[in-house]
Amino acid sequence: MSRSVRVFVPRETAAVSLGADEVAVALESAAQRNHGMAVELVRNGSRGLSWLEPLVEVETGGTRTAYGPVAPEDVDGLVAAGLFEGGTHALSLGPAEKIPYLATQQRWTFRRVGIDDPLSMDAYRAAGGFEGIGRAFELGPSAVLEHVIESGLRGRGGAGFPAGIKWRTVAAATADRKYIACNADEGDSGTFSDRILMEGDPYTLIEGMLIAGYTVGAHKGYIYLRSEYPLARRILGQAIANAREHGWLGTNVRDSGFDFDIELHLGAGSYVCGEETAMLESLEGKAGLIRYKPPLPALEGLFGKPTVVNNVVTLASVPDIVRLGGAAYAALGSGRSKGTLAFQLAGNVKRGGLVEIPFGATLRSLIEDWGGGTASGRPVRAVQVGGPLGAYLPDSLLDTPLDYEAFAAAGGMIGHGGIVVFDDTVDMAAQARFAMEFCSVESCGKCTPCRIGSVRGVEVIDRILGNQDRAANLELLDELCETMVQGSLCAMGGLTPYPVKSALKHFPGDFEPRSGGKR
Amino acid sequence: MNTLRAYIKTFVLWELWQGLSITLRNLFRPSITVQYPEDKTPQSVRFRGLHALRRYPNGEERCIACKLCEAVCPALAITIESDVAADGTRRTTRYDIDLFKCIYCGFCEEACPVDAIVETRIHEYYMEKPGENIMTKDKLLAIGDKYDAMISADKAADARYR
Amino acid sequence: MSDDMVNLEVDGRPVQARKGQMIIEVTDAVGAYVPRFCYHEKLSIAANCRMCLVQVEKAPKPLPACATPVGEGMKIFTRSPYAIAAQKATMEFLLINHPLDCPICDQGGECELQDLAMGYGRDVSRYTEKKRVVKDKDIGPLVSTDMTRCIHCTRCVRFGQEIAGIPELGTTHRGENMKISTYIEKSIDHELSANIIDLCPVGALNNKPYRYSARAWEIEQRATVAPHDCVGSNIYAHVLRGTVKRIVPRPNEAVNETWISDRDRFSYEAIYSADRLTTPRVRENGEWRDTDWESALKLLAEKLQAAGKDAGILLSPSSTTEEAYLLAKIAGHLGSPNIDHRLRRQDFSDQDNDPEAPLLGLEIAALEQVDGAFVVGSSIRREAPILAHRLRKAALRGARVSFACPEPESYHFGVHEYLSDAGLLTELAGVAAAAGCASNPSVRDLLAGVSATAAQQRVAASLSEAGSSVVLLGAIAERHPAAAALRTLAAAIAGATDSALGYVSEGANSVGASLAGALPHREAGGAARGAKGRCAAEIATGKGPALLLFGAEPGPDVPAFASEKRGYGFVAACTPFRSDALEASADLLLPVGTFAETSGTYVNCEGRWQSFAGVARPVGEARPGWKVLRVLGNLLDAPDFDYENSEEVRDELSAHLGSTPPKGGYAGGGKPVKAGAGSDDARRLDVPMYQVDGLVRRATALQRTPEAIRGREGC
Repeated sequence: MSRSVRVFVPRETAAVSLGADEVAVALESAAQRNHGMAVELVRNGSRGLSWLEPLVEVETGGTRTAYGPVAPEDVDGLVAAGLFEGGTHALSLGPAEKIPYLATQQRWTFRRVGIDDPLSMDAYRAAGGFEGIGRAFELGPSAVLEHVIESGLRGRGGAGFPAGIKWRTVAAATADRKYIACNADEGDSGTFSDRILMEGDPYTLIEGMLIAGYTVGAHKGYIYLRSEYPLARRILGQAIANAREHGWLGTNVRDSGFDFDIELHLGAGSYVCGEETAMLESLEGKAGLIRYKPPLPALEGLFGKPTVVNNVVTLASVPDIVRLGGAAYAALGSGRSKGTLAFQLAGNVKRGGLVEIPFGATLRSLIEDWGGGTASGRPVRAVQVGGPLGAYLPDSLLDTPLDYEAFAAAGGMIGHGGIVVFDDTVDMAAQARFAMEFCSVESCGKCTPCRIGSVRGVEVIDRILGNQDRAANLELLDELCETMVQGSLCAMGGLTPYPVKSALKHFPGDFEPRSGGKR
Repeated sequence: MNTLRAYIKTFVLWELWQGLSITLRNLFRPSITVQYPEDKTPQSVRFRGLHALRRYPNGEERCIACKLCEAVCPALAITIESDVAADGTRRTTRYDIDLFKCIYCGFCEEACPVDAIVETRIHEYYMEKPGENIMTKDKLLAIGDKYDAMISADKAADARYR
Repeated sequence: MSDDMVNLEVDGRPVQARKGQMIIEVTDAVGAYVPRFCYHEKLSIAANCRMCLVQVEKAPKPLPACATPVGEGMKIFTRSPYAIAAQKATMEFLLINHPLDCPICDQGGECELQDLAMGYGRDVSRYTEKKRVVKDKDIGPLVSTDMTRCIHCTRCVRFGQEIAGIPELGTTHRGENMKISTYIEKSIDHELSANIIDLCPVGALNNKPYRYSARAWEIEQRATVAPHDCVGSNIYAHVLRGTVKRIVPRPNEAVNETWISDRDRFSYEAIYSADRLTTPRVRENGEWRDTDWESALKLLAEKLQAAGKDAGILLSPSSTTEEAYLLAKIAGHLGSPNIDHRLRRQDFSDQDNDPEAPLLGLEIAALEQVDGAFVVGSSIRREAPILAHRLRKAALRGARVSFACPEPESYHFGVHEYLSDAGLLTELAGVAAAAGCASNPSVRDLLAGVSATAAQQRVAASLSEAGSSVVLLGAIAERHPAAAALRTLAAAIAGATDSALGYVSEGANSVGASLAGALPHREAGGAARGAKGRCAAEIATGKGPALLLFGAEPGPDVPAFASEKRGYGFVAACTPFRSDALEASADLLLPVGTFAETSGTYVNCEGRWQSFAGVARPVGEARPGWKVLRVLGNLLDAPDFDYENSEEVRDELSAHLGSTPPKGGYAGGGKPVKAGAGSDDARRLDVPMYQVDGLVRRATALQRTPEAIRGREGC
């Protein structure tokens, strides 16, 4: 009896750091010992159920049974329990698609992530890959642009600027060269959706950039990847090489007459290079300093040429928007926040991972229904949304619907969709201090408010915590924050005060004088 | 009536007695005359007399040649030239005060950011030859060195009113 | 109203502005001052100091005036409480780290930060923690650094990138650790680099020779003109009690914009050098002794009178026009045509083809508008840094700028072609052949058998295809042994490509000296002399009863004059400085003032007459040159020599010249010219930048620069 069993072990940074490679080795040797079996080991991407990693799946008879989290030492037991036949075990999770965490999501951008080998061109095409660019070639640039505008897709990097409008600006600009720059410098703490996508479905990003290039008339794309993602670099690099080999990149892409190529550029560890103008400077080989706007990068961007700067998730959402039509995407979401967003649950949360759902759900449902509350089991005290510079929201604001406008009204920002949960042991004053400290370390130093304000902000908070002249220093901190918000050149300095001010507003008790030691 | 009164005053030497009464009164008052130079009247610590240039306790000149005293001097009595000193600091190469021009207003002292130029309580000085009215840097520093104790005490006494 | 204008309101006043203008340009135009540090009209916008925040109606935040383009219907408030609060908040931040060392800071009193702190700063800081301290850098002998004072406006960085063309200074590190530095430890060497002193709004970058020597409020600012190159950069001398303390640029868009070269800025140091001649000196029986003006001038008059028509006069091309004119007049009175200012020229064979004056051929400001330029025999960056800057601007605009020069030189822009391999004459002949000059009779002989290389063809094409173009002849071409052939070729090229022909002439006043008639073959105004005199090289090497050197030192200034082969019975020198060579060769030394101590007029290469007054008290018994010459004229009983001031001398000359502008370009034509002998030995032809005249040779700080050291070693 010889039948082929496909076993999936994710090759994704989180899974690998939890032992996925060792699990894969163990499974392979177990399969060799199991002579009757022709076991095909597939290193897929991650489905985003990070708390279950390494999540091993076995495909038997068309269903994929999931087991997780699997440690290398569990492998023998699992094989004994009939892993290769989809047998049951304590780690069995049933059919992967039926896991509630996944089943309740509505995946669009991350549709293919975690299903198959991310570098398999066949698997990608079988799952509808490269149909978006094919359709784009049929429609022509202006119709594609209409679809993107109609979809209401907004930049997923944080600012939420409508992608279609940006593309239209670049498309309308006249220049001898234009560029697509993909911002993959995912530096916000608690965010990992770009990485999961690049490691799990790199062709989607390549296809999205192809479509963007075709639409605006650019022939060169750059992916600015943070150097802290070595695995993503390997996978993306291989994917770009494969795409080139298959004619999806290079001159005359698949006989369409359209030339496009992509270069992978590695960052050097600066947080501020995630800001679009600093990223462009860095791409040009200069120090990552902010450029003033105007001129917008859409008009004078990389090397002074019109440039589309979009986040990984934004670009990766495009192929299906073109394939299925802008209206299909616009049907999802709420208000002016169309489509889906891949939220990332992190911090003190029981079930951390990636949750792609349409805009409109509440933060509470995300934390409780998907996240399952805090990992420590204690009550949630504060939630930070949108990276280290996002506001801290108290329990009373957890019913805020997750869309750009509602969040802005609540004094927060969705940003890249990173959600970090804190339980009631958190010291919010220390968190506020951390925000300032983070800014002082990561500020590029170009503009006065951010360069000086962040360093002095830490000191003022220290003085408040040290109970020196509290009232005056609280007022000073408030004015310092105001100066940073109003005067900073880019969002980095402008946003740093948000966590500080929100902590002060919602958790004033934490700034009271300490009676020896931390609470 | 008035004429009569005037007559009487004239005959009784009224004005004379009036005048002598002042003499009489003062005869019994304590004397206020001071036997200068044996005796001296008390001086305020803020007395503005002869100028001095001060040093820090380690002997370093205080003056940094900022020329603010020169700028503020309403009588244009101060002349300063400056250069880079051997140790790289900013120092005067010339610091002249013309005592004939000086009006002892004390502005130089007020303007000085490092308390280098001060006006001491010394007011007993004289010049014999032309040119001695020019207080050079060396002379000013010498005064500062000689009266350092007095200057320091005066400054300390006045410090809390400034 | 045209389409590209927008209507807006500044502080309630309706204003019209061009579309795309930044708010700060508009507010400046209407006189509504917005505080700023990083903004500078000659540099790109950085928008990093955040001092110029203004309130704009409907904007959610205060906007930086320097980086916000105006829009239709915009309502801008520069002095509203909201705007002032934003400006004060930024100022408070800037002052947190800025040291309180204004009393010892040379910028104190003229500091933008200090001035604005008076308006926008608090009296006491609310931030009590330690200030940031940064180690100072040694960036050379010209610019001092106190980097703790830096407010990171990056004007100096942008100057390097945009004006100089080499980013000598840049930012390293980030956040509060950001520093302005030279990346690696080195000096800043660009010939315009000291302009960062003026750009720096605080005392971080300052004038090193000037350091600690004066205060802004006590110095007097006196306008004058720089004496080292044919540009005639407008400068201010800052004078304290009659002594020049420093030189700063005097903005003049038509000449030097707001920049001056380091040479113009720091040469003033030589005025107070130990080499200054402070009294007239005479040599008697081989011994030098001091004398008085009266007897010295009498002796000179006597000797000149006796020499008569055989007297020789050599004057520096940096002499003022008045001095040149009076010398020419004295020569005329003596009946001697032996007067010349072209001291470094070797080939005088076609001096009749000299133009009336060696003009640039176009206005200096027009140089940046040309589409093609061909610079022949000139290290133009060293000869005239401001002209090189204008050419760079043209090149950045898209002009094709080519060079033919034996001297290697790097230009910080895309040089179209740099012809240096085959020797100047050959390269130029190639270009002429490519430009189609073969039928031109004047160069026919020179082009016989010449075929153009590809590079030479590209140069010719760049000129003939350009809308406006210029061929410039520099000092190396003038000093070249085959100068006549070079110039004829250049003129032919200019003619064939419809380009202007111009000269980057020697010294500050070659044009003025030519117009004043300080030439052996021409009188003032350009009329040919009846009897031609001996040219500079012949005077220097010749024999005669008496020679007068004016402002020129044997050796560096008059290379042909060698004291040991002295052929003159009596040599007198009017000079600001003593030198060993002078003392070896002269019999009488008369101390005359430098440019700072005399009034006069320089005529620059575009023919612009720029008169200036004396700015400093003469050192010792030095007297302005024109006064010395005026008395000398009286002693010689020369007629019409009763000038009361230098303006009368100038006015007499300009009345004589009339109102027709002098002709530049090339006065020859038709007659064939033969190539002179001699190779272009770069070392012999090139005069290093900091060796050009007596002043720069004695400017202490300049002489410590790498450029000067290279120049000295090369000599």
